[in-house]
Amino acid sequence: MNRFIIPFALTLVSVVPAVAVDFVHEIAPILKKNCAECHMGIKHKGGFSMNTREDLLKENDDGAAVLIGDSAKSLLMHQITTDDEDERMPPKGDRLQEKEVQLIAAWINAGVPWEPGFTFKNSTYEPPLKPRRPVLPAVQNGRAHPIDRIIDAYLTKNKITSPVAIDEASFVRRVYLDLIGVLPSSEALQAYLADTRPDKRAILVQSLLAQNVPYATHWMTFWNDLLRNDYTGTGFITGGRSQISEWLFRSLAENKPYNQFASELIAPTKESEGFANGIKWRGSVSAGQTVPIQYAQSVGQTFLGINLKCASCHDSFTDNWKLTDSYGLAAAFSNEKIEIARCDKPTGKIAEPYWLYPELGKIDVSQPPAVRLKQVAALTTTPANGRFSRTIVNRLWHRLMGRGIVHPVDAMSSEPWNADLLDYLATYLVDNQYDLKKVMAHICLSQAYQSKTAPLLTDDESKWKYQGPRAKRMTAEEFVDAVWQITGTAPAKSDFVPKAAPAKGASSAAKATWIWSNDGVNSPAGETIAFRKNIELKNPVALAKACISCDNAFTLSINGKEVVKSDDWMKPVVVDLKPYLVVGANEIQIIGRNGGAGPNAAGLYVTILLQQGDQRAAIVSDSSWQTTAAAGGVIPPNAVWTSAVPCGNQLAWSLIDADVANAMSQTIVSSNHMVRAGLMKSDFLMRALGRPNREQIVTSRPSDLTTLEAMDLNNGSVLAQLLEKGAAKLLVTHASNPSGMIDMLYWRSLSRAPTPEEKALAVEVLGTAPTSETIQDLLWTIFMLPEFQLIR
Amino acid sequence: MNNRRDFLKALSASTTAALMARAPRLMGAEVLHQPKATADSCILLWMAGGMAAPETFDPKRYQPFVKGAPMANILSTFPSIRTAVDNINFCQGLENIASVMDRGTIIRSAVQADLGSILHSRHQYHWHTGYVPPQTVAAPHIGAWMAKILGPKNPVMPAFINIGQRLEGVGESEELKAFTTGGFFGSEFGPMNLPYPDQAAASVRPPKGMTPDRFQSRRALLTKLLAQSPHREYLSDHQQESMLRSLDNAHRLLSSKERDAFDINLEPKESYDIYNTGRFGQGCLLARRLVENGARFIEVTTEYVPFFQWDTHKDGHAVAERMHKEIDQPIAQLIKDLESRKLLDRTLVIVASEFSRDAMMEGGPGSQANDQATVRGDTLESPAHYGLHRHFTQGSSVLMFGGGVKKGHVHGATADERPLVAIKDPVTIPDLHATIFTAMGISPKTVFDIEQRPFYATLDGKGKAVDSIFG
Repeated sequence: MNRFIIPFALTLVSVVPAVAVDFVHEIAPILKKNCAECHMGIKHKGGFSMNTREDLLKENDDGAAVLIGDSAKSLLMHQITTDDEDERMPPKGDRLQEKEVQLIAAWINAGVPWEPGFTFKNSTYEPPLKPRRPVLPAVQNGRAHPIDRIIDAYLTKNKITSPVAIDEASFVRRVYLDLIGVLPSSEALQAYLADTRPDKRAILVQSLLAQNVPYATHWMTFWNDLLRNDYTGTGFITGGRSQISEWLFRSLAENKPYNQFASELIAPTKESEGFANGIKWRGSVSAGQTVPIQYAQSVGQTFLGINLKCASCHDSFTDNWKLTDSYGLAAAFSNEKIEIARCDKPTGKIAEPYWLYPELGKIDVSQPPAVRLKQVAALTTTPANGRFSRTIVNRLWHRLMGRGIVHPVDAMSSEPWNADLLDYLATYLVDNQYDLKKVMAHICLSQAYQSKTAPLLTDDESKWKYQGPRAKRMTAEEFVDAVWQITGTAPAKSDFVPKAAPAKGASSAAKATWIWSNDGVNSPAGETIAFRKNIELKNPVALAKACISCDNAFTLSINGKEVVKSDDWMKPVVVDLKPYLVVGANEIQIIGRNGGAGPNAAGLYVTILLQQGDQRAAIVSDSSWQTTAAAGGVIPPNAVWTSAVPCGNQLAWSLIDADVANAMSQTIVSSNHMVRAGLMKSDFLMRALGRPNREQIVTSRPSDLTTLEAMDLNNGSVLAQLLEKGAAKLLVTHASNPSGMIDMLYWRSLSRAPTPEEKALAVEVLGTAPTSETIQDLLWTIFMLPEFQLIR
Repeated sequence: MNNRRDFLKALSASTTAALMARAPRLMGAEVLHQPKATADSCILLWMAGGMAAPETFDPKRYQPFVKGAPMANILSTFPSIRTAVDNINFCQGLENIASVMDRGTIIRSAVQADLGSILHSRHQYHWHTGYVPPQTVAAPHIGAWMAKILGPKNPVMPAFINIGQRLEGVGESEELKAFTTGGFFGSEFGPMNLPYPDQAAASVRPPKGMTPDRFQSRRALLTKLLAQSPHREYLSDHQQESMLRSLDNAHRLLSSKERDAFDINLEPKESYDIYNTGRFGQGCLLARRLVENGARFIEVTTEYVPFFQWDTHKDGHAVAERMHKEIDQPIAQLIKDLESRKLLDRTLVIVASEFSRDAMMEGGPGSQANDQATVRGDTLESPAHYGLHRHFTQGSSVLMFGGGVKKGHVHGATADERPLVAIKDPVTIPDLHATIFTAMGISPKTVFDIEQRPFYATLDGKGKAVDSIFG
């Protein structure tokens, strides 16, 4: 509604042809520039506000400022043109330019067209930039978790009943899907239910988060959406886009601290530059979508929840971002000077590299782009930038709790429903070295998370009030993974197979040597040798994985704590050492024991991969290790330690070489896991279920199933084939036990037993001799249940 | 859908899925006056790959194939023929469409933006969404706009049906997907894709191998299991209700009589044969059957596959000759069938392409486009050279039938000598879209709040309908 063709006949201007008035792009900026200081937002000097069309047209003591359709008689025209110092508007500073005056006149004559619903009134809420450490309210009802203290205070204050706690099985299903994106296996679920430890929820959360590959795989979906990374898509065809999949997967698997993670995207390496470089379509593009501007938009949206899309064309009308802000960030990125274009028209002004929050610091314009980007990264991720930490914790809260503390999650300038909660989580992230997994664990261990989801009685977001977590719809990837899991029909090959991370600093040449206290060729049966290696750590490790084999048995301890033991040299043990290592001195100790009935070959083989920051180091068994005799597994107090000796016959154990190599590569990426939808190119079914094509940044997927999606679920060939294959498998395992099949399917799909009524219905369908068809129908029906498709 | 009350009713019926967080919000529905619709359904016949106007609906001086003839002489490689309207000529090979020209309007002055070094799909994106990619938000296809604003005409029929384009396994498929979408309106308003018209029936039938009885009993089982769910507290949950409603809707179509419309094999043989020139012809037949059963927007494409069909970078004449055969009979028959069924007056049929072609000029005078011709030279040496092989954005033809457009009318013209640019009443993509939207009763100024920014049905709300073609 912003274009009006009007005959331009005015006293002010002589001959002007018919002019199209564009309120948004032509009028609003003039009004904002000249009148905002006194007449917009909460300011209404002289009782006059220009926030809305109604305000503008309102009559006051002097009559109305603007008469619709009659610029000549409009007071406003007089005020912006007069030389009378007492009457002129704006009262100080430059007069409006002739062209601007003409536009205003044309606009008034055109009937004062206004953007429907548009207001100059910015929300009075000003989001804080600095981090804030809220005072935790008193503990209520023994709920001491800081999140619960904050939320309980909120519930009490707003007289909202605290939501009921969920049962164990629902917790397991929810936390599996939320943290690693798959359903719990029946075995895992039953083991958990049988566990009597009081802290088993915490143990489960920790163990899920420790599953680096499933964790990384699941969160690839979230980050691919947020960083618009994909395995295929627009732009690749002409080389206008590159993937960051390898970098991203590894960063997630290693749980890279979020400040470092963000820095590597903002000031990218070759591997992570796909995000910064955006998508370049062949041919010329509008000024608001050049690669540098895309960079500004992406950095703003992803890391700061700032929408610079408005301010890429003109100063934003809905918030305070200016064209120069967008261009400033773009200019920091750009190798070339960029000219500022306003609404796609060049202005002749060259953009200066500029940082969005000058109070945090500046970009040194004299530096080359690579340095400038490092500065942008530092300014974004500095602990003083509370916006950075708030934005990510809000996204995580949204993923886990179903709705943002600020919502929608990209409108980070709007008011949170609970500022204490947001600020608390943000400081928690920073206090914990930007460890995203810790934030997730912290949320998952709150009673708030472990409460029932409230039924949603209305979808009107404006009426929403926190009453507990909100049910989440499974993502397309989660749905497909769940179907694959239950029917055992996951494809054999993944489209994206992450490579084992090339170790930086640790060359692949650092290969372990089989060692013993002597050359180990003819070691006595039962000989027991202690090995030790001291390592000094300057920083906490991001990753510490060991692969160990000992002919014939070993026990590994670190700093006196037993870590793992094994008596099968043919199965190299892979173990996570991270929980045992401390900053400072560490002693790795292995008691190795030879087996057999008479003298035979003995040896120990150890590879440890350590990562601190982005530096990797390998520690391998070699002559730098020390040994001493330890009969019966006991190291005598007066033990004399000597250097370990490389075994005489290194080839004796070559049979497991491949396993060791494999195991090491799987320390980061394992092929033992089911192929997952999140690492596959999107297909018809996933697209139908809301997987976006990642051309734009996507921060929340649609929450409702649409009719077209329902059509695909009803008769789409992809799902139909999975059902058929799944039924064939179930026929093999459960043909004679339909009752067991039903129980199993309910447990696996819904994490509960069927009720007697449900069971009866299912039995009726399957009969005593299930067929492929009846099984398919039962599977389909279960998959269609909202209880299945929603994470409640 | 003629008055505002119906319009608002349709809106509320079609937005259930869109009321979620961040859903597009129609801005200012209270002040926006939607035009009175002259059409209830729309069929876009898409000549994918760049159909040369001088080889089809805008014939110029004919140059037969003569070895050694100067390339500069080539404007058209087909002689022109008379149509049913005195002052309108077409190229030879389009006799059937020529015979129905008295039922429609031809726009000869459609122009497109010169998007530089050209990727077809970029122009196709522009044509189908009205916006030049890339965009900061996912721009919806014009079919999605109709689905969103008008909703389905018959509640069981998907509002936006896309026929004939494979989205997997063809070149530029990712780029095709980028505009074949509901965009920010969400997949509720996106296309139902039917790449193979003769297999369309399968997409509205129970899955392969499933009898109707079994299909019904599977559905009944779901109803019973839902009723037995121990989680009774969620019966009133909005998300659950909405999910079940969608399943109901889908089931309704899959069990409805309208689903027969998707089965072109039910068409009498005589009629089928007239349409059956290939997948495009079959698609026209399918479109007719769907419109008869209340479809809202249908696109039928000759299919875009780089360097095939209308994407003539060599052997242009021979390919155009074959394309004439593929489109001539089905398009004409579609118009006649709609007319005899009294549907043409309320169905807007559009024939269009992303741009035209020329033998010499790339893009247009002063173009930024790079030469896309694979064969070139100063003189005609082989049949491979004979045809229009370069993209041309400054003068294309668009045919429109029914839906309130004038009969036997010409709008605009292109020059008779190179450059063959539109010399009279040019129609840009925003204006063309405004024309189509207006016929469908949608104001080109219709605007949605997307991420707190206005997003208009036509660029910045500035598309202006070509009023003179209605009447």
